[in-house]
Order: sequence, then C-alpha cells, then structure tokens
Amino acid sequence: MLKRILFSVFSLLVVIMIVMLLVYTAINRNVIFQTDDTWNKKSNNDRAIYEFNQYRKYGYLTFVDYTNFLQKKYKPIYGEEYSSSKEFIDDKKAISEAKDYDELIANGNASVQEFIKQYKDKGYEIKFYPKIAFKTGKLKPGGTAYLLAIEEKSVFLRLWDYIKGFFTVETTSMVKDPELKASDRGLKLEKDPYSGLFAITGSGTQHKYLLYFENRFPFIRQNFIHINLGTSYTTYRGQEITTVINTPTGLPVKSKQQYPLAIQNNTGEYVNTAIDFHSLTYNSAVVSDIEKTQYPDKYTVYSFKRSGLSMMENSFVIGIIATILAYLIGLPLGILNARHKDKLTDKMGNAYIIFIMAVPSLAYIFLFAAIGTRVFGLPYKFATAKKPILGYILPIISLSLPSIGSLMKWMRRYMIDQMNSDYVKFARAEGMSEKEIYRIHISRNAMIYLVHGIPASILGCFVGAIITERVYSVPGVGNLLTVAINTHDNGIIVAVAAFYTLLSIVSIILGDLLLARYDPRISLNSDKGGGR
Amino acid sequence: MNENAKTPAASQDDLFRFIDRDAIMSEKITAPRYSYWKSVFRVFFRKKTNIFMLAVLAFIFIAAFVLPSFWKYEPFENVTKASTFNLSPAKAVAKFGASPKWWLGTGSVGNSIMYGILAGAKTSLLLAIICAAINMTIGILLGAVWGYSKKFDSVMLVIYNIVANVPYILLIAVLVYIIGSGFWPFVFALTVTGWLPIAYFIRTQVMVIRDREYSLASRCLGTPVRRVVIKNILPFLTSVIVTVLAQELPSYIGAEVFLSFIGIGLSASVPSLGRMIQQAQSAFMTFPWAFWPPVAVASIITIVLYLMGQNLADASDPRTHM
Repeated sequence: MLKRILFSVFSLLVVIMIVMLLVYTAINRNVIFQTDDTWNKKSNNDRAIYEFNQYRKYGYLTFVDYTNFLQKKYKPIYGEEYSSSKEFIDDKKAISEAKDYDELIANGNASVQEFIKQYKDKGYEIKFYPKIAFKTGKLKPGGTAYLLAIEEKSVFLRLWDYIKGFFTVETTSMVKDPELKASDRGLKLEKDPYSGLFAITGSGTQHKYLLYFENRFPFIRQNFIHINLGTSYTTYRGQEITTVINTPTGLPVKSKQQYPLAIQNNTGEYVNTAIDFHSLTYNSAVVSDIEKTQYPDKYTVYSFKRSGLSMMENSFVIGIIATILAYLIGLPLGILNARHKDKLTDKMGNAYIIFIMAVPSLAYIFLFAAIGTRVFGLPYKFATAKKPILGYILPIISLSLPSIGSLMKWMRRYMIDQMNSDYVKFARAEGMSEKEIYRIHISRNAMIYLVHGIPASILGCFVGAIITERVYSVPGVGNLLTVAINTHDNGIIVAVAAFYTLLSIVSIILGDLLLARYDPRISLNSDKGGGR
Repeated sequence: MNENAKTPAASQDDLFRFIDRDAIMSEKITAPRYSYWKSVFRVFFRKKTNIFMLAVLAFIFIAAFVLPSFWKYEPFENVTKASTFNLSPAKAVAKFGASPKWWLGTGSVGNSIMYGILAGAKTSLLLAIICAAINMTIGILLGAVWGYSKKFDSVMLVIYNIVANVPYILLIAVLVYIIGSGFWPFVFALTVTGWLPIAYFIRTQVMVIRDREYSLASRCLGTPVRRVVIKNILPFLTSVIVTVLAQELPSYIGAEVFLSFIGIGLSASVPSLGRMIQQAQSAFMTFPWAFWPPVAVASIITIVLYLMGQNLADASDPRTHM
C-alpha cells in the first residue's frame, strides 16, 4: 500500500511537471498582458520593467535591477539617506547617459562594471534599456534607463517552488514583524464573539482565526493548513485558485456587526458592514489611523461576507445530487432489466443506453434543456431563476441522466454474467425464491464491479461538469479549465491539472480500499497472493 | 436405420460397384466448408436493420464526400448583407430561391446551414477515420508486443499509470492550446495518447490468450512466436478489435463536437459540426434551425456508426456463426 501511495505521489509530480513543461515553455508568455490594463497604461521602458516584474511574480524568471544593486551597496554606508549621496547619483547617471550597451561598457563606470561582472559570472543575462527622450532632452513617459540582470527559471526549479508552496502550515513565527514580541506570540482558545462559540485564535500567525465555527456549510473552518494550488494570471488576476473556488460568488452581504475593538471595550457600538471578521489577516504594512480605532491589534486585512455558494459548492451540490440520483435510479433499473431480459422494459432500457452512449453528450444536454424550458417552464440560465433552487433542477437532471444510462448498462451486464454461474444454480436447487437469489446473491456479486467507481464519482463532483455548467451558465469549477485555456491563464491550467490528477489518484486508491472492504476475497497485498 | 430400409434394392448386384479405400483421402477430416469472413457477413446481413443502416451510412458518406466538391461552402459570402443573417428556412428560400443551399436557412453571418453541415460532416468523418486508423494501428501493434513481452510490460505499465492519471480532456485541451487548432494539429492531439487505452486493452486480451492451453501447446511444439501471434492470437482478437473500433469511431466525432463547443476545438477556418453547434448554441431557442440540424447530423452519424459497429462485432464473434 505504501508503495502504491508513493507511486501515486510520483505520478502526480510527473503530471504536474509535464503540464508545466508544456504550458510554460511552449506558449508565448506575453499573452498574459493581452487583457492587462496596467500594462496598457505603461509605455517604453516602464512597460518592459512591468513585464519583468509580472514574469517574476508568476515564476518565469528572477531578475535584479541595477538600482536595487546600488541601494544594497550604499545603504550600509550612508544609511537611509543613501539616495542623496554623491556616489549613488553618479552611479545612477552612468546608465542614463549611455546610448547603448557597448557605450555603457566602454565608458566604464566602476559600479556598472561590478554589476555586470558579478551577475554574468552567476549566469544571468544582462539587459540594458537606454533612456528614451524627446529631441529637447526631456524624458519620454516611462523612458528612464534600466539595467537588469535576468535569470530564467528552469522547469525543475519552478516545479520545486510549486511543491514548496503547496502546503503552508500556520506557525506563530510566521509574521516577521519586529514590533511583535516573542512573548505576545502564541495560540489561544477563546470565546468567539462572531459565532458565539469558541475559536482558536493566534498571534504571530498569518490568520487571526485558525479554527472557528460559522453559520454556513461546512460550519467549521480552519486556517491551520493552507493549500495553494497556484495563482491565476489573467482571469482572477493574482488570486489563488483555492481562494477563487472557495469564495461565494454572490454580492457582499451587510449585517450589524461590531469591530473587534468595540467588543473589547464593550462600547455597544454596531456598524452595518459586510466585513467577515473571521477572515482577518496580519497587516505587515502601516496600520491607518481609522483602523487603529477599530482593531486592537494589527490583524486588519479582511475579505467580505458574500451571499450564495462558492464555485466549488455549486459544482459539488449539483454533482452529488446527480450522483445519488443516478445510483438510486440506475442500479434498480439495471437489476430490473437483467431480471426481465429481452422483455419490453429491457428493450426500452437498451434503447436508452444506446442513445446515451452513441449521441454526443452535448446533443442530449441541449435536448434536455429545450424540453425542460419549453415543456416544464424551468429556468434555462442558472442566474435567471426566480427561486435559486429552480436553477439547480435542469443541471442536475442533465448530469444524472447519462450516469443513469451507464450505471444501468454495467449493472445489467454484470447481473447477466452472474446469472449463469454455478452458485446461482445451486441456490435455485436449494429452493431459494427467485427474489431472494437476485437480492442476496446476484445483485451483491454484480455490485463488486461497481463499488470501485463510487469514490471516483463522488470525488468527481468537485471537478464539476464542463458542458452542463457551460450550457446553464452555472458558476462552477467545471468551467475553470476552459476559461483558463481561452484566456491563457497558465497558473489556473497547472492548478486545475494538479487538482484533477490529485482527485483521480485519490479516488482510485479509495476505490481499491472500498473494494477490498466490500469483497473480503480481494486483498490489496500482492504478496499475499490474493490479488486476482 | 437407413441401411436397413435400402436392403431390398441392394439385392440387385449390378447397381453396385466396389470402390477401393483411398488411404490418403481417409486421413483427411471432412468438415463443412467454413470461411470466417463469409460467415461474418452472412450473420451481419441477416439483420434487416443493418442493411438499412448501411444504406444510411452510404448516403451520409456520399453526401459528405461528394456533394461539398460541387457545393462549395463559403461561410462569409453574405457577411456584408445583414438582411441575410439568421433567416429561417422558409424566409431563406423566399429570399434566395428554392436551391437546396437554402433549405435549412442561414446562420449568424448569412452562411448556408445546409452547405455548412455537409462540409462539417466531411471534416468529422475524416477526423474520425484518420484518428481511428492511427490509434487502432499503434494501439493494436504496441498492445500485442506489450502483452507478449514481460520486459516491455513493466516499462509500459509505469507510463500507462502516469498518463492514465491525466484527465483526457485536460491533455487534449493543453495540446490544442499549444500546437494550434488546425485539422492536423487536432488529429495529433487526439492521437498522441489516444492509442494508450487501446493498447492497454489489447495487452490484457493478448495476455489472456497467450497463457491459454492451446497457445502453450503450440509453443511447446516449437511454433515460432510470429506464427503463434498470427495464427493463435490475432484471429481470436478480431471481434475484440471490431468492438473497440465500434466505440472509437463515434467517440472522435463526439470529442470534436465537445472540444469545439468549449472553445478549444478546430479553428474557424475548418468547417466542422462542433463549430456550427458552438456558434448557434447561444441563440438555440430563437434560431433553432441553425442549431438542431448539425446536432442531429452528428447524432445520426454517431448512432449509425455505433450500432453498426456493435452488430459487426457481434457478427465477427465466431460463436454466433452456428
């Protein structure tokens, strides 16, 4: 079993690496700026620098700016006023006077030479952007000169960074603020004024509330372990995917709440705000004067409470109801068709199975959509439903009907396979009734083949359904990948690939465990000789 | 007994003559003449529905491969005339005259739906045939070696276990995203790992037959591997291969429709059913004539291919030849 898990982890890494290799090396990287407003506003050299900054943020490369290099060089000598020192100004001037790279080297300022030599030796590529000026000598907008040393990140390094950032465990030494003394850091179990119950809070951790209760599903939430699958580049600019898919998609909801300081001082002062005080994180920048009147500490960064379900919840609710329906309807129908083989119900069932198997899924989903809206007057688009719950009906039906077909098909097939086996004949000879034989013997043995797929169909609900969600405009996870591909959002593509692969690996392992549990004849230990 | 019934006539000696026992002929076992493929087609054509479906398929093939060379599909011929956009069949015929070109109305840029469907069906069928040919050839050949060689098996299993973990849609999507969306890049995306499940399936089948008693007996008698593969294993696989083919062929048409629908399919320059469906889907309630015909054609092609394939697979199983 350990070997299996290790191999699964290995194949997960290989998959992520393959996807990264494909996505990062084969695609023109500047497509991420196509929809970037900041990029559009910048011009000339500033735009180039902005591009490098973004590339660094998204993990394409690392680079060092000449100004930063000077800053590092002179700060220890002159302190905070280094920028007015003569050496600093002279060294900065050296790059703004040169017309091109050759001239820069030929003029031979000592600092420039040092910078170039130091980073060339490290394997960096040196890039020089000379100043761009009007004929009058005035700088064009964004025309400042830049000297950079750039190092492209290799795929392996990028993979390593990705894996390193995968799990973050909150510790009390996470906040690197000298103002926060060691004696103040620690975890506390205290009464939570926002839920009325208890919560574990931390000081020195990134989040203030580490474990707390909430009045919405799943009621208890934690911030101890944080999973980061990757960062979106374009669609959800700069946001983490896990945050994107777990944040409710509705509008901010205001309610009467008290600020933490008001609670502490017991002022009884209420404000109408949508702030989710459970989401407070540490503010490592300067706390404003207003915030000082609201918060007792530096945990002042918040997000809003929003209405509705998150993308993940939308997909999961639709998926899980459809799956349960499919098992509840598909299995009995399969048993029924096997029992009455070649009768009318079986023939109708077969026609349905062929329809589902052969017709492209797109066709019948639209067919269901048309029938549902025309005949039953159900809302076509998820968001336009008068009652939110009505919007779920058609997606659930569209998702469950094909699974009913496939479950029916396999259940019927396995039942018929089992019907001629010796133990069934023996049971019949023993005088068991047909009903008992089907219920106790055949359907249980036929289920063995289907048990393996149950975890996959449950975990598959987290992935969402691509076509169904697109047709009914459901804000769910299923669309994430296709939107990411159409907007060249490499971060999401890698994240979704990792997420899909992780789920499929976990569901196969869970399926094996469930199978071994359901059928004691099956052993997962290959050396026991039980594996057939 | 028959002999006894004939005894009265047997008394007349001159009606009979002696025949020498042929020592060589008596060594041969007489059995009814059996030709495998003849029997396959005999069983296949016994079903009347198969003849009907074959006719439908022939009609589709002729319509898709012959007609577009006379009726050239030009999607942007009316792009400047807004009055030709989204016309229902009746209005289109009234506007342009009763040519078959306008029998199904016009699309969002005044394009002929009829010609578009024919050109799209050609693309879909070509795609399905080419992809199936490539995947099946690689899959069967590699699968046979994979099933027969134990060394190769251990290597391939690792590759299979890794690739099988990557969601198929994701892989195709990323590949199309990277190498572009023309017809041939699309074929490449569908075939780059598409053969792997087929090879894996064939491998399992080959392994089962490889260890059957008759195969072991042949090997003990010194039959060379090539002959064992060709004479012992391949004939057994015929019906299995046809079954796989029956599922593969329609699946590529479905895949094209699906991928075009989510926006990562064939590029705009290649007429395809998936693309027509994708373009018409946003207004499928208001302009149903632009949406349902390509859906229906794609569905008919896949259903006919699927059913015929299933029936051919049944017919190619020697147990049904009795």
